[in-house]
Amino acid sequence: MPIEITGGMLLQGVVSGLLAGGLYAMVALGMALIFGVMRVINVAHGTLLMLGAYATYWLFALYGMNPFLSLLISFPLLFVVGVILQRLFVYRVVDAPELSSLLLTFWISIFIANMAMVAWTADYRSVEFLTGSFLLGPIALSKPRLISFCFALGITYLAFLFLNKSKTGKAIRATSQHRELAQVCGINVRRIDLITFGLAAGLAGTGGSLVSVMFSVFPEMGQIYVFKSFLVIVLGGAGNYPGAFFGGLILGLVEGLASLYLSAQLSEVIAYILLVLILLVRPTGLLRGRS
Amino acid sequence: MKGSSKAKENLGWVFLLGLGLGLLIWDSAAAQAPIKVGASISVTGTYAKLGGYTRDGYLMCAKEINDKGGLLGRKLEFVIYDDRSETTTAIKLYEKLITEDKVELVMGPYSSPITNAASTVSEKYKKIMVASLAATTSIWERGFKYLFMTISPAEVYMEGLVELAAERGLKTIAVINEDTLFSKAAASGTIDLAKKKAMKVVMHDAYPKGTTDFSGLLIRMKALNPDVIVAGSYFDDAVATTRQMKELDVNPKMFGVTVGGDVPDFGKQLGKTAEYVYGSTQWSDDVKYPGAREFTENYKKMFNREFSYHAPAAYGACQVFAEAIRRAKSLDSDKIREQLLKLKITTAFGDYQVDERGFQTAHKMVLLQWQEGKRVTVWPASLAEAKPLYPTPPWSQRK
Repeated sequence: MPIEITGGMLLQGVVSGLLAGGLYAMVALGMALIFGVMRVINVAHGTLLMLGAYATYWLFALYGMNPFLSLLISFPLLFVVGVILQRLFVYRVVDAPELSSLLLTFWISIFIANMAMVAWTADYRSVEFLTGSFLLGPIALSKPRLISFCFALGITYLAFLFLNKSKTGKAIRATSQHRELAQVCGINVRRIDLITFGLAAGLAGTGGSLVSVMFSVFPEMGQIYVFKSFLVIVLGGAGNYPGAFFGGLILGLVEGLASLYLSAQLSEVIAYILLVLILLVRPTGLLRGRS
Repeated sequence: MKGSSKAKENLGWVFLLGLGLGLLIWDSAAAQAPIKVGASISVTGTYAKLGGYTRDGYLMCAKEINDKGGLLGRKLEFVIYDDRSETTTAIKLYEKLITEDKVELVMGPYSSPITNAASTVSEKYKKIMVASLAATTSIWERGFKYLFMTISPAEVYMEGLVELAAERGLKTIAVINEDTLFSKAAASGTIDLAKKKAMKVVMHDAYPKGTTDFSGLLIRMKALNPDVIVAGSYFDDAVATTRQMKELDVNPKMFGVTVGGDVPDFGKQLGKTAEYVYGSTQWSDDVKYPGAREFTENYKKMFNREFSYHAPAAYGACQVFAEAIRRAKSLDSDKIREQLLKLKITTAFGDYQVDERGFQTAHKMVLLQWQEGKRVTVWPASLAEAKPLYPTPPWSQRK
């Protein structure tokens, strides 16, 4: 049934898309960092996101903690989880063939998701903190999404600041540009790996916390974000961190508009079509990344 | 020579005696061994919540039958596996139950799509499957001999809502549904009912299973501003749609969901956002079927939590199956089938009677509405506890 798309609806679609995109960008940045520095495709990224969401859920359910305040806990908590995972497992597959890292992180992902299911059951839970929206003329700005978006933007900005200004951040970028050369220059790449994985896990966990105020929390919630992050990285160009940011926004926008113009089923396909097109036309990403 | 033939004869007797003894022991063991009933249930995945209630219903039924001395002198024992809400897993599990675990009986899984798939296995092995939670008509249009339906079909889930809407002179309706078997049938059934009441269907769209963001659908819906919105949903999507309707300020005069709205967690997850939402259910606390009140009490005693209709539905189906077996006095599929076809009883879950396809014809639906954090029956009039709160106020005017 064709429906005439008015300007107001279009604007609403754009806004909804961008709000979702901000979050994709932040989560994908973590995945991009790990890939850039270690050449590891972290399939467990979504599971880390799920852990962050549960952290927020439990802090909210048990102690009534403001979900946005719980970022202060979910980020360091997941940072530590990330460091432990890196220390125990992931360091073995750094710079190994992609298949090894895929297998390893896939295993981690299944293991954690199933442990979560055992510990917390498969029940869907929700953080009923902020509901409703601000109405601006024809546009409804969802409160939880708007605030989550602002936090995602802010945290992504801080992460970029860290990467660009701090010494450790520069070392991370150096390692991602040329691992051997960085090592020759006196950078302890093992330590950089640890920090990178921790940072990435922290970003995923923060993403989880922010997702939990919008959508249901359950052990398998992270899976779609793995695919989306992967797509964002391909869009932005592997190893190109600002690319991950714009890739996230673009993906959100495309999804938002597609769901407006196409049926809900077709709009799910759009993301895949986008992936194939980019790989065909511009395999290095829109903002040319490292091949 | 003579001695040796004598010895042979003796040996023969010993052998026969041994065989006889063996048979005797085997036979008495079989008499005491429980009847294993196999089922796959969605314990994890998207149907986990509702699958859990289904399992509870089966376990309660088995416990009750066993407390009363069992079935045909034997105890019932459920063998339940987790199908992870996946049809392919369910098919494998029923194969395993029937061929490896050698269960003597099977019961249906949760949900139409999974029953649709799993019943191909039970039919192949000529096992009766009493489908306790499959409501899609097309499942019974495949000519299966051993599949029986116990709940009302999907098509009439929203009969109450459409009727209430028509009574109030509402003219337009928008329908969305998960793109799976049951939800599709529920949506198209609702559309047929609405058309019969001369309502105009302004939108009908399906979304894939697992969708979490309904913004696009809802923005389009908001532009059309229909009087009634119906979601052919399961639990997670029902919650997400309701929440996002609030976020996007979509304001129909009536909003109903097919599945999910009757689950206690719907109110728990959504809090005040759940108010005014209509849900349909196969059963509610205030139905007056014999044993219904006892069921509620016993459930709370056994599991110490609230439940949705899925528990009594599974329980009722299991009771129907047991009754048919009692009358057949056998576990033979064809004998039970004969009984199931002519059986006419009312369990705690309601009426049971099927046509020659095994399709349910007697059971009745109930429409409820969330009012002040509670599920209140508003239709049919004979069961209604209260009048529906109408119209649903716009989000901006709610506290």
